[in-house]
Amino acid sequence: MRIFRIAAAAVLMVSLAACGDDSPTTDSDKITGNITLQTWALTPKFTDYLNEVIAGFTAKYPGTSVKLLDQPGDGYSEKVLAQASSNTLPDVINLPPDFALPLAKQNLLVDVGKGDDLSKTYVQGGIDAYKFNGVDGVYGYPWYLNTDLDYWNVKQFKDCGLDANTPPATTQELFTQAATMKAKCPDNFLMSRKPDVSDFVRAGIKITSDDGKQFVFNTDQAAALVDQYRDAFAKGYLPPSVLNSDYQGNSKLFTQGKVAWTTGGATGLTDFQRDNPSLKGQVAVSKALDTPPLYVQGVSVSSKSRYPATAKAFAQWITNADNQNKFGHLVNIFPSTLASASDSYFGSDDGTPAGKAKALAFGELKDAKNLIPYEVNADMQKLLDQQIALAVKGDVTSKKALDDAVAKMNQMLSRQ
Amino acid sequence: MKALRYFLLAFVLVITVGPFLWELSTSLKGAGEDIYTQTPSFVPHQPTLNNYAKVADAIPVWRYIGNSLVVAALTVGGNILFATTAGYAIARLRFRGRSVVLGLFLSTLVLPGEVTIVSQYVTVRDFGLADTLVGVALPGMVAALNVLLMYNAFRALPQEIDEAAIVDGATVPQRLLRVSLPAVRGTLAVVAIFAFIQAWDDFLWPLIVLTSPEKYTLTVGLQYLSGTFTQDQRLIAAGTMIAFIPIAILFSALQRYFFRGVEEGGVKG
Amino acid sequence: MKTQRWFTPWVLTIPALAWLLVFSVWPSINTLRLSFTNAKPLGGDVDFVGLRNYTDMLHDGDVRTALLNSVVYMAICLPLLTILPLLLAVLVEKRLPGISFFRTAFYVPVIASAVVVGLMWTWLLDDRGLINNMARALHVVAQPVPFLTDRWLVLISAISLTVWKGLGYYMIVYLAALGNVRKDLHEAAAIDGAGAVRRFLTVTVPGVRGTMFLVSILVSVAALRVFSELYILTGGKGGPGGKDQSLVMLIQQYAGGFYGNFGYASALSVLLFAVTLVPMIVLARLNNRSER
Repeated sequence: MRIFRIAAAAVLMVSLAACGDDSPTTDSDKITGNITLQTWALTPKFTDYLNEVIAGFTAKYPGTSVKLLDQPGDGYSEKVLAQASSNTLPDVINLPPDFALPLAKQNLLVDVGKGDDLSKTYVQGGIDAYKFNGVDGVYGYPWYLNTDLDYWNVKQFKDCGLDANTPPATTQELFTQAATMKAKCPDNFLMSRKPDVSDFVRAGIKITSDDGKQFVFNTDQAAALVDQYRDAFAKGYLPPSVLNSDYQGNSKLFTQGKVAWTTGGATGLTDFQRDNPSLKGQVAVSKALDTPPLYVQGVSVSSKSRYPATAKAFAQWITNADNQNKFGHLVNIFPSTLASASDSYFGSDDGTPAGKAKALAFGELKDAKNLIPYEVNADMQKLLDQQIALAVKGDVTSKKALDDAVAKMNQMLSRQ
Repeated sequence: MKALRYFLLAFVLVITVGPFLWELSTSLKGAGEDIYTQTPSFVPHQPTLNNYAKVADAIPVWRYIGNSLVVAALTVGGNILFATTAGYAIARLRFRGRSVVLGLFLSTLVLPGEVTIVSQYVTVRDFGLADTLVGVALPGMVAALNVLLMYNAFRALPQEIDEAAIVDGATVPQRLLRVSLPAVRGTLAVVAIFAFIQAWDDFLWPLIVLTSPEKYTLTVGLQYLSGTFTQDQRLIAAGTMIAFIPIAILFSALQRYFFRGVEEGGVKG
Repeated sequence: MKTQRWFTPWVLTIPALAWLLVFSVWPSINTLRLSFTNAKPLGGDVDFVGLRNYTDMLHDGDVRTALLNSVVYMAICLPLLTILPLLLAVLVEKRLPGISFFRTAFYVPVIASAVVVGLMWTWLLDDRGLINNMARALHVVAQPVPFLTDRWLVLISAISLTVWKGLGYYMIVYLAALGNVRKDLHEAAAIDGAGAVRRFLTVTVPGVRGTMFLVSILVSVAALRVFSELYILTGGKGGPGGKDQSLVMLIQQYAGGFYGNFGYASALSVLLFAVTLVPMIVLARLNNRSER
């Protein structure tokens, strides 16, 4: 399936030599010309919205045109990698921060913060997501934001001696309530994921050294947290399939009714109910445990663009308060512009479960923090996941698992 | 005896078609039905063809199918032509370097495929074929596996059939086309199926080569059904079924050729 | 007697050869070159590092584990997938009412989407899956069998998945070959009073021997390059501690993403090539010997 990443990576390598720099004509500060916009898996659902945004832009700036190139969800990193390596990045690109970081390091993106005080327009958390250790500047306009909520299975709570109106609010409460559920219903599970780097951040454990050159989270405190999960696993609070579960594993288990808890964005409820309509009315929603996570999507500008002024203007346009608010009204995501705070839609709870989720998530955003440092890329998360699975299963001590993970991750970090 | 055969057939059937049936039933399930149940449910309780209509509304399915067919046709054509000629030459003609050529094809088989895509993209781009369907088809138009399959089939033919033709003064192309080729139709059918499926199912390669959404092949285009906030498993299942139909048609059409072996090729041993 | 002009074989083989040189051999040579460098997926300087990637490999426990997994995988798959598809092909060879439906159905696993296959197999093998539920209901086991989390059981589960997929694939290769087995030999043997098993061993097997050789090569190469089965069953993680990773999974891990170690991944690819060459040479030797 995903052998593809190799292909893309390889493509880059080989094309390094071929990377002749056809320097863009930067003469035009005028907003004119034809640019391309690459989004990530938004069509066909939001085609109309995107076309409207584009039409607004071209009407404001005659002489411009914007070609929409929406890319499928799967294989996006491979696609972007291939584009970056072959000098074919689109002018305006929707990039999550962890994709933007390596491109920024290779000078492939424009510093959009230069000569522009972004903090007048966007929330600080959004801007910070596109500032990286080791490179100066801001490498993307924040676009839409999201966070995680907790979703609970009401029926299983009721059947197993718990109250879905007072679900766990912290990780420690999760452990106690999981014990209650286990005692009443030996075949049910409350917990549905093993710890990852975000849990260490939540617990206040330092992830990297101050200079960002080393991982240092293999502390006794972190080991104690993993020990807690290991003991919970041994007592049967978590289903064995968590040892293999991937990023969306817990929501799938939740939809199947195999576990009574999952995390998910403000759109989560809609997804669960679309897949399993019998969950309607059976899902309680509450704020994220401990510290809510902040997820940011942004729009970056290619430094190789032929019409940099146009590309920048369009990136500002699509992320302006007006356009972002409209987007947020279509789907449960949240604008990153300061002006959007005055849009009462986002904070209002219309009484429906989805409306409640939206209002809760919007309220959460002001406390939300990025819980996965961008240094910890997907491969490192996988390495850590493997070691933690080993520890939770009880095959090695938690400390050793963390030491091994940190050693391997440091090796990867040193190579970057 | 016949009953035993059918029993065995049914047994293997049960083992093989599970995932397919689940996909089929998911694609037929109404919006009020659960998809992910603790144990799989294979019977749609509110059967509907709506999901198929919705797929057609959401994405230009016909255009994607057309693009995929172009790529598949080029791939099948290339493999049939070049694998046949090369396979025939190594199996039936004597020439210096024959074993070296055979060894080369064999060793190409074990070159790790994960890295051969590597510079293929660069090559295709250098040919000026980035973002074209020909560029997607090009690297797959000859597969070592297919050359070896044809070689193996030609080699299995009895030596006498060539000798008789040579006596009649037949040239190499005549011998290939009139004598040997009809006898290996079964393997040709297999090569066609392998080539078709390889082209039809490929995902990453067309994704990398193509940039314009209107040129996407079906596997890439179907990915739009799993959008960022819009995954409906019923639609995804319907899309998968749509992608499956052409393969099923091709397979049913070609599988009867598997059994037209030597005796029906007019060269009864 | 002159039967052909000297250039005829070359006219026939050169297109295929040229294609493979451009799209397979040349990229592989490039891989070999990169295996001596510290190349990265995205930009940066590429330095020649000599044999460092290869010496690193010697001390890499993950590589040893992956290599062992791949070899075990091949050792089990090779006999199963050389023989079972042949039996299946014999089973569907005969013209019976509805047989073409069965033939098509048996081919379905080859083209089923990986995601759905993963879902179905998890349903079978999960702790609460079909097999464990049945085994517990029948009191065969007290505790669920950890098919998907135990180091060796994961491997066995993945092998079952490979065999399941391979049945239909190699079946059609055999079907085409069976068409070429001369019917008169079968008839002669039947007249001599040979039973079905006897006829299978004395007529069918010798008749498809070349194909069995080809299939065994394909199976061993595919088994050593196993990727998707292990990936699907372990959620892409290669099992607890990554102990169920294959060489290809490792290659992907190092080569993939924005930060890989492309030089090391290339060196692993070269290792994989060398490893896959071994069974091919051995099988080719065996085949030559039995041909004589």
